[in-house]
Amino acid sequence: MALFSAFQTIFLLALLSLKTYQSEVLSEPLSLAPESLEVSIDSARQCLHLQWSVHNLAYHQELKMVFQIEISRIKTSNVIWVENYSTTVKRNQVLRWSWESKLPLECAKHSVRMRGAVDDAQVPELRFWSNWTSWEEVDVQSSLGHDPLFVFPKDKLVEEGSSVTICYVSRSHQNNISCYLEGVRMHGEQLDPNVCVFHLKNVPFIRETGTNIYCKADRGDVIKGIVLFVSNLSSVFFVWPEVFEEPKDFSCETRDLKTLNCTWAPGSDAGLLTQLSQSYTLFESFSGKKTLCKHKSWCDWQVPPDSQEMYNFTLTAENYLRKRSVHLLFNLTHRVHPMAPFNVFVKNVSAANATMTWKVHSIGNYSTLLCQIELYGEGKVIQKQNVSVKVNGKHLMKKLEPSTEYAAQVRCANANHFWKWSEWTRRNFTTAEAAPSEAPDVWRNVKSVQGHCVVTLFWKPLSKLQANGKILFYNVVLENLDRPSTLKLLSIPAPANGTELTLDQCSYQIRVTANNSVGTSPASVIAVSGDPGNKEVEEERVRGTEDGFCLSWKPQPGDVTGYVVEWCERPGDPLCDLQWKNLGPNTTSTVVSSDAFRPGVRYNFRIYGISTERIPYLLEKKTGYSQELVPSDNPQVLMSNLTSYSFTLSWKDYAAESQPGFVRGYSLYLKSKAARCLPGSEKAVLSDDSICCKYKIDNPKQKTFVVENLQPASFYEFFLTPYTSVGEGPQGAFTKVTTPDEYSHILIRVILPMIFSILLIMILCYLKSQWMKEKCYPDIPDPYKSSVLSLIKSKENPRLTIMNVKDCIPDAIEVINKQEGTRKSLTETEPTKPTYLYLLPTEKSHSGPGPCICFENFTYNQAASDSASCGHVPVTPKAQPQLGLLTSSENGPKALGKNYVNSLGEIPAGETNLNYVSQLASPMCGDKSSLPTNPPEPALCSEYKTQMAIPMGLASPPSITLLDEGEHDH
Amino acid sequence: MDLRAGDSWGMLACLCAVLWHLPAVPALNRTGDPGPGPSIQKTYDLTRYLEHQLRSLAGTYLNYLGPPFNEPDFNPPRLGAETLPRATVNLDVWRSLNDKLRLTQNYEAYSHLLCYLRGLDRQAATAELRRSLAHFCTSLQGLLGSIAGVMAALGYPLPQPLPGTEPTRAPGPAHSDFLQKMDDFWLLKELQTWLWRSAKDFNRLKKKTQPPPAAVTLHLEAHGF
Repeated sequence: MALFSAFQTIFLLALLSLKTYQSEVLSEPLSLAPESLEVSIDSARQCLHLQWSVHNLAYHQELKMVFQIEISRIKTSNVIWVENYSTTVKRNQVLRWSWESKLPLECAKHSVRMRGAVDDAQVPELRFWSNWTSWEEVDVQSSLGHDPLFVFPKDKLVEEGSSVTICYVSRSHQNNISCYLEGVRMHGEQLDPNVCVFHLKNVPFIRETGTNIYCKADRGDVIKGIVLFVSNLSSVFFVWPEVFEEPKDFSCETRDLKTLNCTWAPGSDAGLLTQLSQSYTLFESFSGKKTLCKHKSWCDWQVPPDSQEMYNFTLTAENYLRKRSVHLLFNLTHRVHPMAPFNVFVKNVSAANATMTWKVHSIGNYSTLLCQIELYGEGKVIQKQNVSVKVNGKHLMKKLEPSTEYAAQVRCANANHFWKWSEWTRRNFTTAEAAPSEAPDVWRNVKSVQGHCVVTLFWKPLSKLQANGKILFYNVVLENLDRPSTLKLLSIPAPANGTELTLDQCSYQIRVTANNSVGTSPASVIAVSGDPGNKEVEEERVRGTEDGFCLSWKPQPGDVTGYVVEWCERPGDPLCDLQWKNLGPNTTSTVVSSDAFRPGVRYNFRIYGISTERIPYLLEKKTGYSQELVPSDNPQVLMSNLTSYSFTLSWKDYAAESQPGFVRGYSLYLKSKAARCLPGSEKAVLSDDSICCKYKIDNPKQKTFVVENLQPASFYEFFLTPYTSVGEGPQGAFTKVTTPDEYSHILIRVILPMIFSILLIMILCYLKSQWMKEKCYPDIPDPYKSSVLSLIKSKENPRLTIMNVKDCIPDAIEVINKQEGTRKSLTETEPTKPTYLYLLPTEKSHSGPGPCICFENFTYNQAASDSASCGHVPVTPKAQPQLGLLTSSENGPKALGKNYVNSLGEIPAGETNLNYVSQLASPMCGDKSSLPTNPPEPALCSEYKTQMAIPMGLASPPSITLLDEGEHDH
Repeated sequence: MDLRAGDSWGMLACLCAVLWHLPAVPALNRTGDPGPGPSIQKTYDLTRYLEHQLRSLAGTYLNYLGPPFNEPDFNPPRLGAETLPRATVNLDVWRSLNDKLRLTQNYEAYSHLLCYLRGLDRQAATAELRRSLAHFCTSLQGLLGSIAGVMAALGYPLPQPLPGTEPTRAPGPAHSDFLQKMDDFWLLKELQTWLWRSAKDFNRLKKKTQPPPAAVTLHLEAHGF
């Protein structure tokens, strides 16, 4: 090594001596000077980028050098920046250096020059400066264009509180330019006649849209401005937190060893401040390669073919303000994320086994992959296995169930250096069928219809595990126990879960098997005998819980092969949905639970024992509710035997069995005005806070109740409701009743028969009215309607007719000076003071002497009737009005006088002083046709004390006389 | 009032003449189709309403941009806003516009302005401002529909936008933020001027489509009153 250093030193000295010689010859100093200096600008960042190289170096030579850089502004003599830049230099290596100007580069012309010196301890003799390069001029102004005014920098983004330098460049000397910051005029420093510089210190954040700075010329329509975006630290951190954060979750991996994919957590968009948007750069230090990522969250890196193993990545996130980097060093083979397996197949699928095969993408010649196989059945992992694979994989899956759907999936990872599993590749398959493994669960229902035995068979479909395939049909074999050789086979297609058989007698053994495409299940045997087994067994109540009904029964002394509990899930339904449960011979209790059990529904359970002959026989009956409810309705209560002190209630039609709970009794509520409750009842408060008396009837079978000890003529209200263990029935309306008065019933007992009797009599009277009339008030005979008339007519004697009352000309009767108390017989005479009844003719037009009859009250003068003239006829007090026919005048009085005599003898004493004159007039005697129409007219007789006008048709007065027709015609 | 006999006869004749000519008065002779009159009136009303609405919106937006854009006397040159449809026009030219051209210019102007305005809406930083801009855009869309309705009522076809000339607001790298603010300023200013001009346009159209109110008077004069 020392030898090599010595050789190198000698070589350099020789080279330098040669150069010295040359310089001496050419009069130029020999130095390692920077050459090919180029200056470029970055206006946005206000940067000058310098690049140069040192040519005079030997091949493979590396020297530490220092470069002195001078930057002048406006003119070369105005050097504003001097900096020494030290670095290691290789021959023809491009060296770079940047300088950021506070003044926008557009504001002034800048010039750059540099010189170099060896700063290496190995060659201390070369430590002197080379010559300056020529000034490199940077004049951006010349390329600005022809606008009259410019303001720089363009839309800069700075942090709050920093300092900014702004300038304007004017093209016109004449114009006076004034500049404003947020409307306030700024005063700057004139850099040259056309350029003015403004130094802003400690810039504040004003608004999100930036601080406006503009300049305008006092002449012309020129205005130019810039927007200075000031990042408010808090708001930027709030809105764009990624500005200050380095990229997260940076990771690289390869899937095919050809491309590396690097990912990281992307930041959100920077929004308005486009300057804050980030760019990402990926740099690999071993290879020295760099790539600008096109995407915000990932970048692809091509793996070189020289099989570079180690990688050292630097991810740099950069925006206008900040730069953040993260590093990642890894071995490529440790970051292999294999591709998903391909060509995956499931082969040789039988009822219990299947083989899975697959292929993997190679990850190198000597690499082994670890593959994981998962077997899914019904959505769950049932088998898991790891297999090492080079290229081809194979795995046998055992212990599978017949006719079952499975899913097998496989994934792989690098077996040597695990990084990540590949994606799964999945295949579904179904195993082959096998014969059903279990006998179907069979039950029966036996009915006797018209001497035949109707057996309804039920069976439960086999579970998937038992069926081992699709059940196609069920075979039912009937064997007559009386004639064992007789077999009958029925085949029932599969979805059926029962069948109905009509058998001539009931001693049969029935075998049921389920069949699929492969084979037959074991047989399920059940026997039916002549005795259907429905013997009367007392029903016992059971209490259901949320978990179901807990049923227990007494163990049977004989040989019992098992027990069956049978019930209906829909008790009210005719289909019933019969369910059963098979239990072993040693079991004496079970819990029957079902989702179909509903609160308030009464379920009946029957427990059968199965004999050794497979014949079921009924052992016990149970009934109960899974959850009792309060009664749903109240009974219709009938009230009877209402007395003053009691009444009877009955509700015999009430169906307590149909209630949603066992009716334990009844509650009778009685409201009355009495403050105290009657014996046997207690006070109770109703839901409406009213207080009443409550009778409790504990016996649910009692359907009548007598409410006693009531007060007569009192108002009561009652309401009866059943109760279960949960509570009473719904609150209903009270029935009102008023007890009768104490005596009212007696009255009712008397009055009602009386009314009945009267009614009876009235009905009888009505029915026998004719008889009654004849007996009590016979009709007065009407002469015109008499049969005599027909007799007369038959004798053809037109002259014979019946005299009408109206034919009689009334007369006056005057009673004069009748002595009190004198009551004389007709035979006595009183010559001194005779009493006359004058019967005067009243009709003037009457030509002849009228048929006037004068009665003297003492005697009856027959002669008078013979004379044609009017005369006084003495009338006896007992003179009777006579109705009769002239032809039978002698008999007439005898026949009718009895009824129609108004005897004067009945006149009480003391009335004899009356002067009584009665008049009746008839206008035309003997005119039959006019008889009924002519009203009576008062007679012209004088000295009438009292007058009476008797209307036509009334009963004739006593003075009516039936006259001969011949006389009447006079 | 002293009325001579001759006056009475004259008035009677006048009354008869009025009654005779009543059916000839277009305003009274409307049966069925009301014509474009009501829709022109509505469009006019809408322009006035939008003028009012924009006044408030522009104030908010210019404050958001900051000074000098919100200064009342700020009147920058139309540098970058050349693509905006210009509302100002020579008075004689404006008068000589026929109805179809007048309406077409309005329709095209608002179509362009609406596109620019939507760009403004997308860039606004505050939610409240975005809401106001979105609301105004909806109103402007309504105005555009109204103008289209008037054009359809008058039987004018709608101008077809040339393909590829859809105006967009795309601030490129060369387009500085200050110039962008200037564009925004000019957009609002042009919009305001256009609304003012549209009000005049539709007022003029309204008067043209309305019946001459002096028709009855003229007849009266013809009878020697």
